[in-house]
Amino acid sequence: MTTTYWIQGGGCGGDTMSLLSSGLPDIAELLHYLQIEPLWHPSFSIISAAEHDKLIERIINGRQELDILLIEGAVIRGPDGTGMFDQHRGEPKQTLIRALAQKANFVVAVGTCAAFGGFGPDTVIDACGLQFRRQQRGGFLGSDFLSRARQPVINLAGCPCHHDIIIGTLSALAQGVKLKLDEFQRPLQWFGTLVHQGCTRNEYHEYRIEESEFGEMGCLFFHMGCAGPLVPGICNKQLWNQRSSKPRAGVPCFGCTDPEFPKSTPFFQTRNIEGIPLSLPKGVSRAHYMVYKGMAAAAAPERLKQRTSRV
Amino acid sequence: MTIIAKRINIPVNRSEGDLEISVEIENNVVVNAWSSGTMFRGFEEMMIGRGPLDGLVITPRICGICSLTHLYAAAEALDELAGITPPDNALRLRNLALMCECIQSDLRQAVLMFMADFANQKVYAELPLAAEALRRYKPLSGKSVFSVIKESKRLLEIIAIIGGQWPHTSFMVPGGVTFRPELPELLQCRMICSHFHNWYEEQVLGCSLARWREVESCTDLDNWLAENPAHAGSEVGFFIRFSRQAGLDKFGGGNDCFISYDSLRLPEKSSIQGQSGHLLQAGFVKKEKLHKFDSRLISEDLRRTWYNSQYPPLHPEDGETLPGIPVINDDDRYSWIKAPRYQDMAAETGPLAEALIADDQLIKDIVKNQGSSVMVRELARLLRPAVFLPPMATWIDELIADHDAPFYHKVKEIPDGSGSGMIQAARGALGHWVEIRNQRISRYQIITPTAWNGSPRDTAGRRGPWEEALIGTPIKDEQNPVAAGHVIRSFDPCLVCAVHTISRRKKAGQLNLGI
Repeated sequence: MTTTYWIQGGGCGGDTMSLLSSGLPDIAELLHYLQIEPLWHPSFSIISAAEHDKLIERIINGRQELDILLIEGAVIRGPDGTGMFDQHRGEPKQTLIRALAQKANFVVAVGTCAAFGGFGPDTVIDACGLQFRRQQRGGFLGSDFLSRARQPVINLAGCPCHHDIIIGTLSALAQGVKLKLDEFQRPLQWFGTLVHQGCTRNEYHEYRIEESEFGEMGCLFFHMGCAGPLVPGICNKQLWNQRSSKPRAGVPCFGCTDPEFPKSTPFFQTRNIEGIPLSLPKGVSRAHYMVYKGMAAAAAPERLKQRTSRV
Repeated sequence: MTIIAKRINIPVNRSEGDLEISVEIENNVVVNAWSSGTMFRGFEEMMIGRGPLDGLVITPRICGICSLTHLYAAAEALDELAGITPPDNALRLRNLALMCECIQSDLRQAVLMFMADFANQKVYAELPLAAEALRRYKPLSGKSVFSVIKESKRLLEIIAIIGGQWPHTSFMVPGGVTFRPELPELLQCRMICSHFHNWYEEQVLGCSLARWREVESCTDLDNWLAENPAHAGSEVGFFIRFSRQAGLDKFGGGNDCFISYDSLRLPEKSSIQGQSGHLLQAGFVKKEKLHKFDSRLISEDLRRTWYNSQYPPLHPEDGETLPGIPVINDDDRYSWIKAPRYQDMAAETGPLAEALIADDQLIKDIVKNQGSSVMVRELARLLRPAVFLPPMATWIDELIADHDAPFYHKVKEIPDGSGSGMIQAARGALGHWVEIRNQRISRYQIITPTAWNGSPRDTAGRRGPWEEALIGTPIKDEQNPVAAGHVIRSFDPCLVCAVHTISRRKKAGQLNLGI
């Protein structure tokens, strides 16, 4: 039996909604197959507030084992460090999050807000992620934090986090599989590939057939602000809702797994130097890239230039 | 003898975001209520200075359960600014996606969040239907819960096919949509829609849509229930029977004012017809009388909120969101939710308002004969898919027939100026008001359905709709005042959308209880 406690901070509930969209298993099947007992989830639990208080008390004084603490949404610290912009039963919720994090075997940040702060760091709510504030290590729990299983916070980035990643992480932890983490503590099993990988527009990307308008077939990286080649994610490998991904449907990737999401510059635009994006795919040198893309454009076949190849 | 009212605080979960209500109780009945959320997120502030299209990416992230609704409103506001009407196919796709999202929200809210309480054996063990309720609604394992999780996520695959993913896509853009689905994709959408339609008839209604449409009065409803076990045992049938046993048809009425905006803009060439160019019509109902709706009559009263208030209350196009210093333990100013008013009146919005404005015979007859209640409000939600599913199928058929026609009209740039997007979200009337100056967003104001329903008092001291609806609610057990939760949840509260809320701290000597 694996116990979980799901808490929501400054967020939109989108990760819970993503989780509900998982294919096989869906959330109800997963709990059943792996004997996971959700002690609390704010969207589903029906125990009374008094019973909920007792549950928290039991976890904190060690009488109830907590295997996995899942946090959705940023930790809200404002105003002035009091945390009172987000409270639970008259107390700042950040106090509860800290107390529970100290008791859990694993602490999982579900979504970019919980991992890096997401939509919270730059406004009066003064939010941050559990162990990061954007790219900066530290965050709410501090860079030295380790959960009882001697693990740092596991960051399931994404806005929202992909359902397969949430389900996969829960399965792995429930079955005692160790997850390898990248520099931003995202599990490499899912974040070791770029969103670009598997995009149906890749042939257009390859030959630099680029679009500046919506509703076309070509690549969205050069002008439309697509971050697919820049950020990790499985969106084009394990599809969303078992069906598709944003770039496949003509929506640029907004880079939501990146610690700096949401970026401060306008979406739907790529910042350029001489027609080549300011940000290049990870590890690529500008000079080589310019030569390569120039040659690729020259080699582009007519069927791509004419946009007759379907995406 | 004067009975001193007792004040209790009730945190409400199973809503989108946290909410706390405070009620005063006399003789086991609620006599006064204050509604206050527990979180402030400040999205409007985040929008200022950003690129003109950024609302399409940021506003969906206000809410995980109705993200597409915000996208739709944001795109309509930009259409208006750009002075463009999207092509018919784009309108069909936008509508189709919005309706899918609305239906998943309605069914998940009803079964996973609202009816979950019916499975609470500490509250309802004595009712004859309690054991069956547990089998159906036990959190994350009940029979109905299983089925709703499966079918709602399958319906959402339509949005993924046409928009890439759900939640949080941005496939609606000024001028249309980003994707031109091919025939195979449209055929898939059609199959998913048919599959869902069948499931809705079999499990939720227990009969065909055609049979259901014959139910036009309270008497018809009783006859329908008695007609056969499939009706009585369907989700709708069981909900009605359980609600009557639990007395949910007896309280939770509200203030008899209802508001809705025009929504789901009709394609020019379509077999689906409606007044005012929309499938759903705007309106304002006061004491069962329908009035013509005029958006200029909306204002936001900030007098009882923690915002720096303007007086007189302003139209959202001129409104601002300037947080003041929250004073905790104060009944004078007690919420981050603004108080939208229509002609100075608080108004309820959502499926019940939509049904009354659309002249739904059954819902009108229930309200006329039995008054508004928790039961009829939730019933209207459970029945909304019956209104949406037929036009959804028609629009997919029209897309299949006409898939070579445009999906996008080019928009060169968004000019300076202001625009609004006013639509019906799952929870009711949603408005976005955007102003662009020098190619940057200079103002962004949002009035959410939960701001209408969960608003605090206003300058004149009038309660918000669910504060009003709580009055008269029976509280049998102060340790577990589940009836108050039913009232609030029947409005399908979305606090992450209302975004402007913070909680009151418990007072000395005051009971702090939960449901």
